[in-house]
Amino acid sequence: MPKNDLIPGTLDMLVLKTLTLGALHGYAIAQHIERTSGDTLRIEQGSLYPALERLLKAGLVTSKWGQSPTGRKARYYTITASGRRKLGQEIEDFDAIALGISRVLGRAEGK
Amino acid sequence: MSWLDGLRYRARTLLHPLDHARESEEEAAWHVELDTLQQRDASTARRRFGNRTYHVEERRRAAGLAMFDTIAQDTRYAWRSLRRSPVFTVAVIVTLALGIGINAATFSMLDALFLRTPSGVNGAHELRRVWIEYPGPAGTFQSQVMSYHWYRGIAAAVGDTTRAALYFAEDEMHLGRGRSGPLVHVVYATANLFPVVGVRAALGRLYSPGEDVLGSPVNVAVVSDHFWRTHLGAKPSALGDTVRIQTRTYTVIGVLPREFAGLSTQAADVFIPFAATPPPPWVRNPRWWDAEYMYGYRAVVRMPDSLDDSQLATRATESIRRLSRARKDPPPGADTLARVTLGSIIEARGPAAPEQDQIIVTRLGGVAIIVLIIACANVLNLLLARMVRRRREVAVRLALGISRVRLVRLLGVETLLLALVASGVALLIGWWSGTILRRLLLPQVEWYDSVLTSRLALFAVAVGVLCGIIAGIVAALQASHPALTPALKDGARETSGRSSVRLRGALLVVQAALSIVLLAGALLFTRSLRNVTRLDIGFDRDRLVFGSMEFDDEGAPPDAVQAAGLERVAAQIRGRAEVESISLAGITPMRGFSFSTLLTSTDSVRGGSSYPSYNAVTPNFFETAGLRLLRGRTFEEHEPEIVVNEAAAASLWKGRDAIGECLYIGSRAGGCYRVTGVVENARRDQVIEPEAAPMFYMSMTVPDTARRWKPQVIVVRARAGAQASVASVLRRSLAREFPQGYPSVKSMAEQLDTQYRPWRLGAQLFGAVSVLALVVALVGIYSTVSYGVSQRTQEFGVRVALGAQIRDVLAQVLGEGLRVVTIGVIVGVLLTLAAGRLVAALLYGVAPSDPVTLTVVGLALLATAALAALVPAWRAATVDPVTALRAD
Repeated sequence: MPKNDLIPGTLDMLVLKTLTLGALHGYAIAQHIERTSGDTLRIEQGSLYPALERLLKAGLVTSKWGQSPTGRKARYYTITASGRRKLGQEIEDFDAIALGISRVLGRAEGK
Repeated sequence: MSWLDGLRYRARTLLHPLDHARESEEEAAWHVELDTLQQRDASTARRRFGNRTYHVEERRRAAGLAMFDTIAQDTRYAWRSLRRSPVFTVAVIVTLALGIGINAATFSMLDALFLRTPSGVNGAHELRRVWIEYPGPAGTFQSQVMSYHWYRGIAAAVGDTTRAALYFAEDEMHLGRGRSGPLVHVVYATANLFPVVGVRAALGRLYSPGEDVLGSPVNVAVVSDHFWRTHLGAKPSALGDTVRIQTRTYTVIGVLPREFAGLSTQAADVFIPFAATPPPPWVRNPRWWDAEYMYGYRAVVRMPDSLDDSQLATRATESIRRLSRARKDPPPGADTLARVTLGSIIEARGPAAPEQDQIIVTRLGGVAIIVLIIACANVLNLLLARMVRRRREVAVRLALGISRVRLVRLLGVETLLLALVASGVALLIGWWSGTILRRLLLPQVEWYDSVLTSRLALFAVAVGVLCGIIAGIVAALQASHPALTPALKDGARETSGRSSVRLRGALLVVQAALSIVLLAGALLFTRSLRNVTRLDIGFDRDRLVFGSMEFDDEGAPPDAVQAAGLERVAAQIRGRAEVESISLAGITPMRGFSFSTLLTSTDSVRGGSSYPSYNAVTPNFFETAGLRLLRGRTFEEHEPEIVVNEAAAASLWKGRDAIGECLYIGSRAGGCYRVTGVVENARRDQVIEPEAAPMFYMSMTVPDTARRWKPQVIVVRARAGAQASVASVLRRSLAREFPQGYPSVKSMAEQLDTQYRPWRLGAQLFGAVSVLALVVALVGIYSTVSYGVSQRTQEFGVRVALGAQIRDVLAQVLGEGLRVVTIGVIVGVLLTLAAGRLVAALLYGVAPSDPVTLTVVGLALLATAALAALVPAWRAATVDPVTALRAD
């Protein structure tokens, strides 16, 4: 099955969600998203790092250089408190949109 | 705080963009590495990762760093495009640099005089100089000097002894005994000067009020950092050393901080307690500070919180008036008319009327701004012309979809780059000309700082960038909206855009008009200088040499010995070939004067605003000095006879012949001096005097009740051109006669030089600056006309092909160029008339509205402009029709 591109605007949410597991480096974030989506979602490195840059600037994540298990220097990202708040908000918004889409597609019952 | 994390991250990114780039690269590499391990296939991994450079760039964009990339790109582009047209670049940089440089130099003068508080002083805004306003013959005048008594009165009005201080500075004095030691500035100040201005010792201590008790002083000294370094070897052990200044020796107890050098523009080297002032030898009163004629002290106060300036001034005025009334011999008028006023600690801010040097500095500031405007106009003109030449390039860029903002920014960066380079060159010019200006305009100021201060650098760069931005934006806006099709088709030729042509014409008018103002100024100053130097001062300025003796306070021989010595010296050199005539006088002409009450048989002598003065001379003084005897004869030695000048004769014996009349000196009891001759008027002490002062000359050998005259000065009339050799002979003879003294020999021209100096200075400075401005303006005219011609090469080609003569084309091109300049000349003349009163105080014998000056200047500018236009006009007239028609 070919890997799909992300629905626009959801990458930030996925990254934040992934980081709730703990401090991870960029490659691990991408790997995690791809694996847990059952390889349906493909994370372009070209969009992952700009997204991390955005999150860093907004103060939703912080980064620190540390040692990887293989002994290499790697940059680890951690979600901040406001990152968590933001994540909650994004998930709510996404649920609302997903519900709306499902209704349009006639797969969900309207209230 | 999460948002703080974000801010910290942004700040770090902006402050360390290189770290950010390195880390991004590292992260990307690590990512690919991991992917490779995962895939076990390097090429797939790289493919998966895609274009790495692109990703890194995307990340920079996300980080907000891309802006810097475009700026760097713009700068590189601007640099390349400037390098491609070196003539344009150099012209702009030189023009702008001259304009800014002159401003930087004059700004450093203005800064030092008017803006900077004395360095090292704390809380300068609370400090005030104390001025005394006196009634004078021509309105009130302000002086900072006062007696010790008045200072006490002012201190009492302030109410707090730690808030008022007295000081005075002597002229430079020689260290050690005699005149061989280095010159230093000595300031005598009360002990509370240091707390008042808020200065502490950098080393050792300052003297205390206990060491500054009048009548029982302690001979201690506090020296400046500069003095400590140059004369005491910068050793901490110098404390306790002694410094000898002429008759007294002082123990050094402290060194001042480096930045403090007193309150005047002249840096002070040594501070000595006021009580330890050596009184002049002629003061007999042991309480010298009480003597009303000891009158040269200045006061500085720190404003008390409870009073404002006018309240304190009123109190201090009442206080000094009370003191004056209490004295046995109050100085005339002092009890009711003198008034205390307070002024800024920056001396030049007044309230006294500005010195001529100060006026020149401020006017020069105005002139510098004019030069800058001309320079900016010229730069704008060059930029506009360049924009038109680049129309095709701009049109191509626009057609390819560059945004207007980006285009304006691109062109803006180019001018900014020019402005920055120009500012750099300007700093060099400013440093160089500033050094010269300092020496010329404020030679009395001891400058310990360089011309090039950070303030000045900031000023130059700010002016340069401002000028660059204004010119750049105007030019870029003009260029950024051409109609694309004709621009692409016509290329560099200007077919539309009349507004640009009009703008350039207007700029030319501005340049021409301002050039007229500067040229008129220069000519007015030159004519003033000529008028002043041509003034007949009575004396033969260029032939006279004066010789006298100075002695140390302890080494002065009695007056009679001095007189006999001077007579011997005069006799020795009388017969020499280079000496035409020699005589002796009591007072050096135009260097001091003596008053006495003079009475006729019916009246006492009054001289209007110029008081009568007299001098005792030998009978041949008049032929020596070059004063024509108008009537009668000179006096006989040993006879009670007197010679008066024309002004005296006219005012004392109106309508009658003065010869044979009687004049009494001091009182009528002293006996009558018979007038034997009337001599022409001469200046008393100023080259420019509003009216001739009455003067009286009599023999030194007649017993005089008012004062016993002794010869003090040898007056020599040198043969033409021999003043220098006369001066050296005189100096040698005097030194031989008085081995213990110091001969003072000066030609009259040297003596008067300080008076001619401001006039010469004004003429030279304005002359130099206006020539510069003229050159800049001519470059502008030349480039504009020649640019216009190059735009119309085809048109001229057609005209010539159709049979136009050389003179037709010449007349047309010249006429068009000169029309603009003529408008500029008219505007310039009007401006000069309006600005005239600003320089009226610096002029002599010529009005700012002088029609001859204005006509000469206008014609001169037109003529030079015609020359500048002639070159391109000739090019237009001799154009080869075939080449012209084939051209772009």
